[in-house]
Amino acid sequence: MRALILATIAALALAFVTGCSDDGNNSGPKDAAAIDAGPSSGPDASCFTNPTTYNEIINACTTAQKIYKHPNLPLLGSAGSLPPLP
Amino acid sequence: MLVAAPRLLRCTAMKRLVVIALAAGLMVAGSRPSEAACGTAAGPCNCSDLPNPIYLQVGDTQLNLMKALGRQLRDNTAKPITLVWVTSGSCANIDLMYHHNPQAGITATMSYAPSQAEAATFTTASTPFTCTPTTTPALFPDIGNSALFNSACTQETPPSKLSLTIGPRQGYVLAMPRGTSETAITAEEAYFLFGFGPTMLQAMSAAIMPWVDEGQLWIRLDSKSTLLAWAANISVPAAKWHGTKLNGSADVVNALLTSANPAAAIGILGSEVYDNLRGSLTVMAFRAFGQYAAYYPDSTATSRDKKNLRDGHYTVWSPTIWMLNTDGTNPVNPDAKYVVDMIAGHPVTPAPTFEPNVTVAGVGLVPDCAMRVQRTFEGGPLSLYTPPTSCTCRYEATVDASSCDTCSATTPCATGICRDGYCEEF
Repeated sequence: MRALILATIAALALAFVTGCSDDGNNSGPKDAAAIDAGPSSGPDASCFTNPTTYNEIINACTTAQKIYKHPNLPLLGSAGSLPPLP
Repeated sequence: MLVAAPRLLRCTAMKRLVVIALAAGLMVAGSRPSEAACGTAAGPCNCSDLPNPIYLQVGDTQLNLMKALGRQLRDNTAKPITLVWVTSGSCANIDLMYHHNPQAGITATMSYAPSQAEAATFTTASTPFTCTPTTTPALFPDIGNSALFNSACTQETPPSKLSLTIGPRQGYVLAMPRGTSETAITAEEAYFLFGFGPTMLQAMSAAIMPWVDEGQLWIRLDSKSTLLAWAANISVPAAKWHGTKLNGSADVVNALLTSANPAAAIGILGSEVYDNLRGSLTVMAFRAFGQYAAYYPDSTATSRDKKNLRDGHYTVWSPTIWMLNTDGTNPVNPDAKYVVDMIAGHPVTPAPTFEPNVTVAGVGLVPDCAMRVQRTFEGGPLSLYTPPTSCTCRYEATVDASSCDTCSATTPCATGICRDGYCEEF
């Protein structure tokens, strides 16, 4: 039981350290939830704390309300590429 | 016969007098087309009869700015000015300022805000007073406005005698009629929706719910900043958009509010238009290409702080550009520069009797001093930005609520700089 508690604490600590570090280079999971998580607020688990590049700025950590959405778009390319417009 | 000759002469002279009088009348009519008194809602009066008129042609997203700032400037005792404006698409405004195209200049009825004495209860919700521009000679604006980067309309270098100033930032939104359960749209969804259209998507078994009605996409004309800004952000060129192209923001609002299929209706608007219609419309949070989550322009669906627009989480915004005539070095009309500087948040002399940045913030625009990101072309990547001085606290206090410490001459800030009653970061 004690080992289980220690393992849980270690896992939580590891998640905290890697989830939103101060080095600005976090490239964690692109979306925290595999399904529509709906509106949420509070610190983001997949975000950048010291953004400098465009990708980091738009994904910077924020307390703002965020909405995760995973639409089914069958016309998207396999790597998420957009097909040409008709 | 002896009597008839003088009568003939008198008759000829009389005819000449009538002709001269008619010609004179026509000349007067050319430059003074109406005779109504200015300063009443009965108008239109002659624009040139207004006190110290500054003529502007602006995008319709700037309408509330014209009303609010125009009102303040009428009663600006340090330098009273009458803003006299007409609205048109940003690209048309650029063409007029760059090329004086059309050569007839401004011919439409113009608007102005009444002074306090003329209409005590005037607000941005009020109908402005009207006036008729002089047509002989043709009237061209002292100030032209585009509500996006000029390069989105034309790659042409601006004329050397035109000074361009970056003003407050303008947000753009996608909105649906109130009552929808939809909360967000991704850039990829918008790409397919507006680039392919619901009909084609359904034929390809790729419908995007709930936007499945080709007749319920309400967009703007190709020359409008609202369409061009969205076009740049979702990579669908203006000419390729599916939807009903409407001339004005009010037309889009009307289409959404009277939609026969509101569950599928969606339209593009300036964020300030949506802000005034929150009880009737629902804004969509937007997820840009490469972004992990969708965000509203504001930090929440109900706040009004434009936090996400200011810090880069909401990407659909443009700078407003203010074009001013110069002789190559100095402004042709110094009072027009006074107005442009005021809109851009630059110091002006004499100091106005109001806070221009507060007026700007109050109509849904974001002053430069509250921004923390910038871009260099329409829809381009954002980079970090530090304005010369910060007004974030004052801005947030104006539009929503500020968590900043307050300060005064006798209560200094523990950290930061005391400005306008708030401890600003710098």
